[in-house]
Amino acid sequence: MAPLIHLDEWQDECATVSEVEQALIGLRLKRGFEGKRNVRTSVLTHLAWVPQEWQEAATETLAGLAERHPSRTLLLFPEPDAEPGLAARAFLECYETPGSDRHLCNEVAELRLRGARAEAPASIVLPLLLPDLPVFLRWRGRPDFDSAVFRQLVEVVDRLVVDSAEWQDIPSAYSELAEVFASVDVSDIAWRRTLPWRRALAQAWPKLPDRLTGPPAETTLVAGWLASRAGVEVAVERADELPVGDDRAPSDLLSEELDVYAGDPVYEEAVRIAGRL
Amino acid sequence: MATKSSEPETQQNPLLEGLMIRRRPEPCVLTIFGASGDLTRRKIFPSLYSLAFRDLLPEQFAIVGVARSEQSSEEFVRAMEAAVREFGRDEFREDVWERLAKVTRYVATDVADDRGEDRVAKTLSGLDEKLGTRGNRIYYFAVPPEAMPIIVEELGERRRAEGWVRLIIEKPFGYDLASARDLNELLARHFTEEEIFRIDHYLGKDTVQNLIALRFANGIFEPIWNRQFVDHVQITVAESLGIEGRAAFYEKAGAIRDVFQNHMLQLVALTAMEPPINFTAEAVRNEKLKVLMSIATPDPRLVVRGQYGQGFIDGEQVPGYREESGVAPDSNTETFVAARLLVDNWRWADTPFYVRTGKRLPRRETTIAIQFKRVPHPLFEQTDLRPNALVVHIQPNEGVSLAIGAKVPGEGMRVRTVHMDFLYGGAFRTGIPEAYERLLLDAMLGDTTLFTRADEIEEQWALVDVITAAWARERANFPNYAAGTWGPKAAQELIEWHR
Repeated sequence: MAPLIHLDEWQDECATVSEVEQALIGLRLKRGFEGKRNVRTSVLTHLAWVPQEWQEAATETLAGLAERHPSRTLLLFPEPDAEPGLAARAFLECYETPGSDRHLCNEVAELRLRGARAEAPASIVLPLLLPDLPVFLRWRGRPDFDSAVFRQLVEVVDRLVVDSAEWQDIPSAYSELAEVFASVDVSDIAWRRTLPWRRALAQAWPKLPDRLTGPPAETTLVAGWLASRAGVEVAVERADELPVGDDRAPSDLLSEELDVYAGDPVYEEAVRIAGRL
Repeated sequence: MATKSSEPETQQNPLLEGLMIRRRPEPCVLTIFGASGDLTRRKIFPSLYSLAFRDLLPEQFAIVGVARSEQSSEEFVRAMEAAVREFGRDEFREDVWERLAKVTRYVATDVADDRGEDRVAKTLSGLDEKLGTRGNRIYYFAVPPEAMPIIVEELGERRRAEGWVRLIIEKPFGYDLASARDLNELLARHFTEEEIFRIDHYLGKDTVQNLIALRFANGIFEPIWNRQFVDHVQITVAESLGIEGRAAFYEKAGAIRDVFQNHMLQLVALTAMEPPINFTAEAVRNEKLKVLMSIATPDPRLVVRGQYGQGFIDGEQVPGYREESGVAPDSNTETFVAARLLVDNWRWADTPFYVRTGKRLPRRETTIAIQFKRVPHPLFEQTDLRPNALVVHIQPNEGVSLAIGAKVPGEGMRVRTVHMDFLYGGAFRTGIPEAYERLLLDAMLGDTTLFTRADEIEEQWALVDVITAAWARERANFPNYAAGTWGPKAAQELIEWHR
């Protein structure tokens, strides 16, 4: 990974959306530094909904992600109990491009949605989306699928990215998740994590194990997948490790999900059945 | 085990959908003829290492280097390790290299004598037995054209029933149309077209393939990709290097055989071809062939040849071509070719394709520039508005840029040309693979899409023969451009005449 340079920070504890927009435009027009030009290339707008308890993990996952998917990243931190207002920070994340006279820059805006603003996030992000590029929403933790906040954000994005391994109520949560498929395409990092495991099972077909052992989310999804694809029902047993692991960093797994633009019917069918297990 | 025994075993595996399982090449042995040469060191082994690094090689795989130079397998492996360290694009990892090193052999032999070929055959059978490579063979011809017929004959006659055979053949494929035809006929006596992989490494470049993506994965370009909207096309394959010790080859080949006959004409074909019905080898190659067949025989006055004299590159004085070591002091070999080509078909009639290639030009650059027609009516005071141009940068600075006119802020209506840039390295941060990686892997998988078919090669040579025949009638007045400039004045005039 190329060295990351934070550049030209702007922040305001009491901002308006149009000020954030102006700040992002201003940053984009910066001419560069160290004799190199700044170049902004974007392939998507990346929203992340990050409740308080997920802030640290979210920052770790996002590190290096923008290098692989140059984007405008909008980090939304809901703070419903704080005094109403919008606190914002915007900056450029720039990477060296070896052998080139340019820095590659991504725009990042951290938006703290305080008080009632935490209930109307769509109205805040809509003006800030890059036109004509896909919008991905990474939802940290377990979404409340019925909440107004969730419903309005899903309305404005092309793809929802979750990690169902972050959820406590497996498998019943999958039944609720399945209801969302009608309104938005969903990626699940837990599902991506099971890819080597599923490949191993596919290669063993038609000989399949009677029992799957692993972490609850991944194991339930694989069991749902076997039932939906092959009509095979297997028992699940809890363990900490996946039998066929994927040792890549969370940012690598998320990065792969950002390359997927269409719905995944195989996943959706696995989730529908997983919810009944 | 929870086997679904009620289903027949032959039923398609329902678990495979969506798993993106890459097809892995079948077990095989890659034999490189001419293994002591520069190509093996600079390209083939570093590419094999990159494939091993990404775990893309067959599980049972071996490499046999064959050349006349006396050296042991151990010495060869050491030399290749140094080459991978020097030219590889990935970090050097001992474990990855070790996997390749332990299946690499070297046979010092002259394949022109029967016993030499015996030694190669014996090594290959030994590897089949030891590693389970099942008699599958890829033979890579990194040898001069004159050495090829005897090896092809030997391999053809010794062909075994067991396993498949594929031949990868480096350029130059022949010296002219007659020799290329001879070679094609010789190959066809022993091998089918699907077994022959004629390399033009430009086709393995991602940025060249991106030209196909640009044209056929976007709805906005194809409707204007024709004589109604395009004024002319310029294709440049420029090198700032000289001949780098390759005098013996270059004196015979010149720029027309080294680059024009292959890379240049393939770029013309990809730029001009009709949409293929799908992205399979035959469909794509059929469309390229039609373009090559449509290229009109150029008027000799519209083909310019050049040879560099002394000059400056990067501020340093460099010798002229005739002063290079191994070059005849009165050499008549061209180091530069420019031409105005016409693709005589419905889409491109009367739209010139200006192509140029040369050595010791100011910079290394391969670009395809589509210059669109001017606006039909000058709306603004300015009469010097530049037309739009779409430039595909094949190398370096891989990407695409579109020149558009934009209003200069302030009073009045002044328009300035600005560039919208798509930089490959900016949007995709995974690194662009070396062309040879893709081509070696495709050959292992048996996919000939990015290789040149016999009829394409012959069409290319037919055009070159016409040009060289005209040149043979008259001795050129060389040198006619200084190193570090954009070629002879006559080449500039080709385009200026158009304007």
